[in-house]
Amino acid sequence: MFEPMDDVIERIARHLRRPVQVDPALDGRVMREISALPTPGGATMVGKAWRWLRRPRQFTLTPLGGLAAVAALAVALLLFRRDSTSPTPPQVASRAFQFVLVAPRAARVSLVGDFNDWDATRTPMQRTGSDALWTVVVPLEPGRYHYAFFVDGSRWLADPSAPVARDDDYGAPSSVLTVGGGGDS
Amino acid sequence: MRSRGIHSVGTSDAALVRRVQTGDTRAYADLVARYRDRLGRYALHMLGNREDAEEVLQDAFVRAYRSLSRCDDPERFGAWLYGILVNRCRTAGARAARRARRFVNDPAALETAPLAGPDGRADWDDTVRWALARLPSESREAFLLKHVEELEYEDMARLTGAGISALKMRVKRAREQLQAMLKEAERV
Repeated sequence: MFEPMDDVIERIARHLRRPVQVDPALDGRVMREISALPTPGGATMVGKAWRWLRRPRQFTLTPLGGLAAVAALAVALLLFRRDSTSPTPPQVASRAFQFVLVAPRAARVSLVGDFNDWDATRTPMQRTGSDALWTVVVPLEPGRYHYAFFVDGSRWLADPSAPVARDDDYGAPSSVLTVGGGGDS
Repeated sequence: MRSRGIHSVGTSDAALVRRVQTGDTRAYADLVARYRDRLGRYALHMLGNREDAEEVLQDAFVRAYRSLSRCDDPERFGAWLYGILVNRCRTAGARAARRARRFVNDPAALETAPLAGPDGRADWDDTVRWALARLPSESREAFLLKHVEELEYEDMARLTGAGISALKMRVKRAREQLQAMLKEAERV
């Protein structure tokens, strides 16, 4: 698709597209480092099989075939539910996590994330004595959570001390916290 | 991949990759030489200094070698290598950002701070690098991939793991911010 660029952007892009010469000695450093490594080898049979399974494919299905597939799935689900005999989920212990943000100029800060449905009213953060720090403690069960700080009712900030969420499809910055059974990351 | 710069010329990437996989390590030197400057440009613009860029680049080449058996499609070695570099730049950038944020951690304060700008009417290169460094890393990444590396959004999505609409938004924001900064810098 043709996308017209403003003059200043075109100028910047053209400037940045100029070739950059990297120190050719880098080649030697790379080669020295890999000389100590084993030959990487080609893809193994298991690897090839795994990739074959992961590769997306298109299927064509007649309406009748589709109905049959749905019916078979419904029967399988019914049988599975009938056999299921564990109505009470196991108890999972939650652990307390303290979230901290340094924002000396903020008037109010909330913690938002998967654990509070991204509701900015549910987990307000408290300003601490130093005035620059905002903190809140939240109990979390083991799992993987996306979260962010919501500042002054308008700005989203990812947590600078945590990994950035790569699957952030909404354009707003967010971070990832993984709470394990025994630890977190 | 339809991108203009990720594909190669001469002996195909796939042929070189296969030679490496059968024990011909020298073929990897050809791949390094082929992609060194191109990837170095991205790392330099992304990280803002040559030393960090070369360190990350070296790391990306070594990681790619170690993982060569996981390169699904040797014909697309360049794109695969690019993905590794993009991730290494993110990690290095986040580390640098954490160091910086020990001192200042309020983007609003940064945005409203008096314009430090390039001192003493530095040239256009300084101005561009200064403006680029002030972009949020996600916007800088998207801008460089789109407008400097000239990738299609589909390729960018594969490299970054972000959705196409999010990438378009990041590019749009980057363009707006760069324009604003450059205009401001020209006024000072």
